[in-house]
Amino acid sequence: MISDQAKKQIDAWVAKYPEDRKSSAVMEALKIVQAENDNSLSAESIQDVADYLGMPGIAAAEVATFYENYNHKPVGKHVIRFCHNISCMLNGSDDLISHLEDKLGVKTGEVTKDGLISVKKVECLGACVGAPMFQIGDQYYENLTAEKIDEIVDGLK
Amino acid sequence: MAKIEIEIDGKMVRAKPGEMLISVTDREGISVPRFCYHKKLSVAASCRMCLVDVEGAPKPQPACSTPISEGMKIHTQNEKSKSSQKAVMEFLLINHPLDCPICDQGGECELQDVAVEYGSDVSCFSEGKRIVADNDIGPLIQTDMTRCIHCTRCVRFGAEIAGIMEMGGTGRGDHLKIEPFLTEGVTSELSGNMIDVCPVGALTSKPFRYELRSWQMNSTSTIARHDLVGSNINAQTYKGNVKRVVSGDNDAVNETWISDRDRFSYEGLSHENRLLEPQIKIEGQWKEVGWHVALDYAVKGLTSNILNNHQSDQLGVMASKTSTVEEFYLLQKIAREIGSENIDYRLNIKNLDNTAKLESNIKLGGLEGVDHALIVGSNPRLEQPMINHRLRKASLNGTSVDVINSMKFDFNYQLNSENIIAPNQIASTLAGVLSSVLASVSIELPDYLQSIKVSKESASIAEKLNNSDNSVIVLGEHVVNAENSATIVNLIAQIAKHTNSTTLNLSTTANSLAAELTGFVPGSKGMNVNAMLESDLKAYILLDIYPEYDFHHADKAIDALNDKDNFVISLNGFKNDIVSEYSDVILPIAAFYETSGTHININGDMQSFAASVVAPGESKPAWKVFKVLADLLKLPGFNYVDSTQITEEVSHQAHNNHLHNENIDLSITSDNINIIWQQSPYSIDALLRHSGSLQQTKIGKLNFAYMNASVAKDLGVSADSKYLGVPVVITDAVADRCVFVNANKATQTGGES
Repeated sequence: MISDQAKKQIDAWVAKYPEDRKSSAVMEALKIVQAENDNSLSAESIQDVADYLGMPGIAAAEVATFYENYNHKPVGKHVIRFCHNISCMLNGSDDLISHLEDKLGVKTGEVTKDGLISVKKVECLGACVGAPMFQIGDQYYENLTAEKIDEIVDGLK
Repeated sequence: MAKIEIEIDGKMVRAKPGEMLISVTDREGISVPRFCYHKKLSVAASCRMCLVDVEGAPKPQPACSTPISEGMKIHTQNEKSKSSQKAVMEFLLINHPLDCPICDQGGECELQDVAVEYGSDVSCFSEGKRIVADNDIGPLIQTDMTRCIHCTRCVRFGAEIAGIMEMGGTGRGDHLKIEPFLTEGVTSELSGNMIDVCPVGALTSKPFRYELRSWQMNSTSTIARHDLVGSNINAQTYKGNVKRVVSGDNDAVNETWISDRDRFSYEGLSHENRLLEPQIKIEGQWKEVGWHVALDYAVKGLTSNILNNHQSDQLGVMASKTSTVEEFYLLQKIAREIGSENIDYRLNIKNLDNTAKLESNIKLGGLEGVDHALIVGSNPRLEQPMINHRLRKASLNGTSVDVINSMKFDFNYQLNSENIIAPNQIASTLAGVLSSVLASVSIELPDYLQSIKVSKESASIAEKLNNSDNSVIVLGEHVVNAENSATIVNLIAQIAKHTNSTTLNLSTTANSLAAELTGFVPGSKGMNVNAMLESDLKAYILLDIYPEYDFHHADKAIDALNDKDNFVISLNGFKNDIVSEYSDVILPIAAFYETSGTHININGDMQSFAASVVAPGESKPAWKVFKVLADLLKLPGFNYVDSTQITEEVSHQAHNNHLHNENIDLSITSDNINIIWQQSPYSIDALLRHSGSLQQTKIGKLNFAYMNASVAKDLGVSADSKYLGVPVVITDAVADRCVFVNANKATQTGGES
């Protein structure tokens, strides 16, 4: 079910595209519905978005599974989106991800017991100059080291 | 457009500017390997297998998405082409399992073939291959998605041809998976074509799984007989059994697609219910006998019941509408030679005294070129999938489609308007359309239209037809049993005449056009099927009839046939208790694929086919049975040795048609509840009803009586009860005062209403 509030937001995006191209608003619509559902998308909510925009469910699912912005499992209050693409990888992201997993006691894709933090490996976030890096919310954290990670994670509430 | 010249491998070739390179090389017989390209689908250019060297371009170009231009020089065989093709092949094989020995596609696999020709025997890749979990996508298609090379042909087929996107690519990079989403799998009526387009063993035929290798089978081209299209198909046989059916190419008929109904019906051939021995009933006991005994018994029965008493007009003959041209022709010839004109195939029509005629005067290819279509009383997607495909193509090219139906159906194209009204009101709506059409061309209104008020809907339908240069009016099955069906048909004919529209009559299916052509209709002194059943006839010859499914008045028909004094000769492919009860002789006959014959499609094409396999047990092609029966009855003119001689004779004497009513009577405005009774798409003939996998599909399980809440209340039924033996579904999709029944089972009451 999509709330009336969300529908209003989606309609604002739909209005930006030609009338017969409602499906162009699918990315924003998914984002809006995700925000409404504790930051994750169930298969049913993807289907709801597709139905609302008059497109096949699978077409919405293609978009929802292609982009890393969409979560398909419950996530923590803070999602640490760790880049593991080439620049970050060459600069040691693999080891840092292991470090982070050990520190939090969860694997990537999982949520800490208190529901506060989850870790997700993502594709390039366009900040190679500061590799290795991750993103929490709208904030980029660059030139990461194990110590720096500990400090950032300890500061999360 | 003027042609241009390009050079391919040193050879000058003429082609249309803008044509894709791969279609030019295909036409010229130059081999370019490919996986994702399919001539009937959009270009994806995702597999990169068709890379060729274009002079002047720094990198090799994909032939499938490179439009040609004047003076282009292309090399398909040089080092640059070869090495890029080899490299792409190596990439494609990185994740493809080496399981060819247990893969059903082995031996007919495009990947295998191209790997042999263009691949290398070693790979730089030594890491582990990925494995993809499979979903069960239904009873027709087996998936092994680990083998998938992501060509997306099945995805594009769904989105572009089937018109419902059921498969898609989820995830990205090496997590990309081709799968359906949140559905009951793949449910399209054309889904089997995904098996044909899949270049690897990812999508294979489920009923055929692990049966045979392609090279072990013989392939015979034949014609599918379940609808008005007569799709060209190839039956693949092994040791006298049809093991698989794949589509054949014929642009004028089915292009390269076939419906699931045509593809999977063969499964019924090997059903345990097949009738294998001739049987005669002696003192109420059935006895299996040889053909001579059975035919002698049949002749004796006919002789003592009618011939000796000079009551030849006491013979009635009926045939299923799936019979071949030859079968129709011989059976009516036997009846007419004996002296009876009681001949009919229209078993499911309630009122035959008052039929009207609407001819089809547009070809399948022509449908794509219309600019407006009006569909009346039809769900073309399930009834005539390949005709619906043409309408869909037209619609995608901008054709507007108006619909007048009694229930909302799931059209796979955009409708301009959808008018959901009960059959009783269809006539008044069409009368409004005609009135509006005549007014616009300043023709004086005939009397019957004087009192017609033109509704807004009628006016807008009329306007569309008036403004169109090339429109078609499609008449479907749903109005044939309406009280005023003749009026509806005649109104359509009038509207078509005054708007210069073509007409397409889909109101009767399978091979019924052949029945009309061969004169398998009552003669001037003969009775139609309903009259026969009320006349206590002394003898019947019934071809492939299963009364509880085929007759409109099933109960009445069974009662009439059960009359003690009559002699009934039944020719059937499958055992049936009701047939056994009323018959005196049952002769086993060949089913589809087992007999030679001819089908006539909506284009008027007479498509002949040979038998693909020999009929099982003692069963014989019906035309041979009729020939021998005629000889035993000492009837003249049955000296055929081959069914093609019959076909030849038919084409020389098209029969005169029965009389049709041209009246338009708008006074019928009863407030009765209208019942539209239809066998569901996968149970319209005996072979389909015995095809296990088709019956397991969503379409095969359609067995519902749809009605709205107020009608349900009037009829005293609820959502968990049955109406005429069919489970009730309460929905607003049906017009008021109307029940729409899709039945896949026989019921005691049949279509009685």
